Amino acid sequence: MPVVALTSGRLSMNKWVYSLVLLAAPVFADASGGPGSSESAPTGVAQGRQIYEQYCAACHGRQGEGAANWKKPDEKGEIPPPPHDETGHTWRHSDAMLFKMIANGWRHPFNKSDRLTMPAFGKQMTAQEIQSVIDYLKTLWTEEQRDYQKTESQ
Amino acid sequence: MRAIVHSTTRAAWRLCLLTLAILLPALAQAQSADDAQPVTSLTISSSGALLVLQGSDLFAIEDGTLTEIALPATDQGAQPTSMARGADGSIYVAGPGLGVWRYDSAGESWQSLNDTLPDLGVTAMAAHATQPGTLYAYLGKDGMFRSRDGGAKWVRVDSGPPEPVLAFLHSDMPGSMESGWLFAATTRGVSRSMDCFCFWGDAGDLRGTVSAIGYDPAAPENVYAVIEGQLHHSADGGETWISLKTPQSVTALAFSPSQGLVVGTANGSLLARGGADQWTPVHE
Repeated sequence: MPVVALTSGRLSMNKWVYSLVLLAAPVFADASGGPGSSESAPTGVAQGRQIYEQYCAACHGRQGEGAANWKKPDEKGEIPPPPHDETGHTWRHSDAMLFKMIANGWRHPFNKSDRLTMPAFGKQMTAQEIQSVIDYLKTLWTEEQRDYQKTESQ
Repeated sequence: MRAIVHSTTRAAWRLCLLTLAILLPALAQAQSADDAQPVTSLTISSSGALLVLQGSDLFAIEDGTLTEIALPATDQGAQPTSMARGADGSIYVAGPGLGVWRYDSAGESWQSLNDTLPDLGVTAMAAHATQPGTLYAYLGKDGMFRSRDGGAKWVRVDSGPPEPVLAFLHSDMPGSMESGWLFAATTRGVSRSMDCFCFWGDAGDLRGTVSAIGYDPAAPENVYAVIEGQLHHSADGGETWISLKTPQSVTALAFSPSQGLVVGTANGSLLARGGADQWTPVHE
């Protein structure tokens, strides 16, 4: 009986140590500065920012400021790229909706051309990369907007 | 002495006649106003009954039978200005000084949904086309509120269009980023937004104070708006509009599965649209 208890205690301890290693590993990896570090393979928000700058910034602005007259449709009925910062409406959409928009694109129903208003990026980005872009966009919002969007995502 | 009495009597008669001449037109006008109040709002119940809000009265008309429904009793005597049917068939009324109320048809009573609204100044309300618990209330300068639990908890979601909203609706017209669209009757025309409240934009070039707005649930691209009693129709979700001829000035409208477009008029009539510009009375 005491042996069983000891074994069980070791197992519990091993689980705890394993969890700690999993939690600490990214920290050590980031701190190493070598290959595979945050500079060459960023994760989370940093990765999201890098991908945003590669694919999204050309239309939505480097700081997420959007097109100048984004609320006014052009002569083809297309809505110009909206801001992603606190002045836009990205924060009004749930994570699931934002993911769908980035992966599949979206066509405004009053667009008089056949092309997508927002192009699809599902072939260029992995699911994890799309999520990292969404995580980065959240850093451009106010605390109140983040709270609103969190509720929308539930 | 006789002459004095005679002239006094004549003077009294003249005074009576003069008083009658002044009062009679006013009395006649008051009588006609009572008989023919404008229809404030219309909706269709889940059983297909036409619900008619007219001044401080609410009627249900079904199979030619008219039944009066008592409205919520309020201390201030506030009257409802807006009525909507939820996706589950629940009937709601709202108005300034009244807030939002839901009708319990089983108990034939009204339930206040105002516990978490900032005040009772609801000038317009709408119910989501497909989500039973989702309601919208417009409180003027306080903006647009939404409840996702049938009115238990209201959250401010937006300031609404730049111009004041007199009425609005939710429709499940396709193409929204979220679950549908909001069409608002404003003092500038019809304003339109996806129900994520991304932004409000003009729905076409229709200009003027829109007093009533409706749509065809079976073909949601068909939107109707009333400006100064004139009915207008858009067949493309508010992009372009044409005027429709009506025999009387229109004040309210609704879509009935059996009768199609039904309008209420300034003199209290209810008319259903048959063919092009053909209108027939709904209830004599």
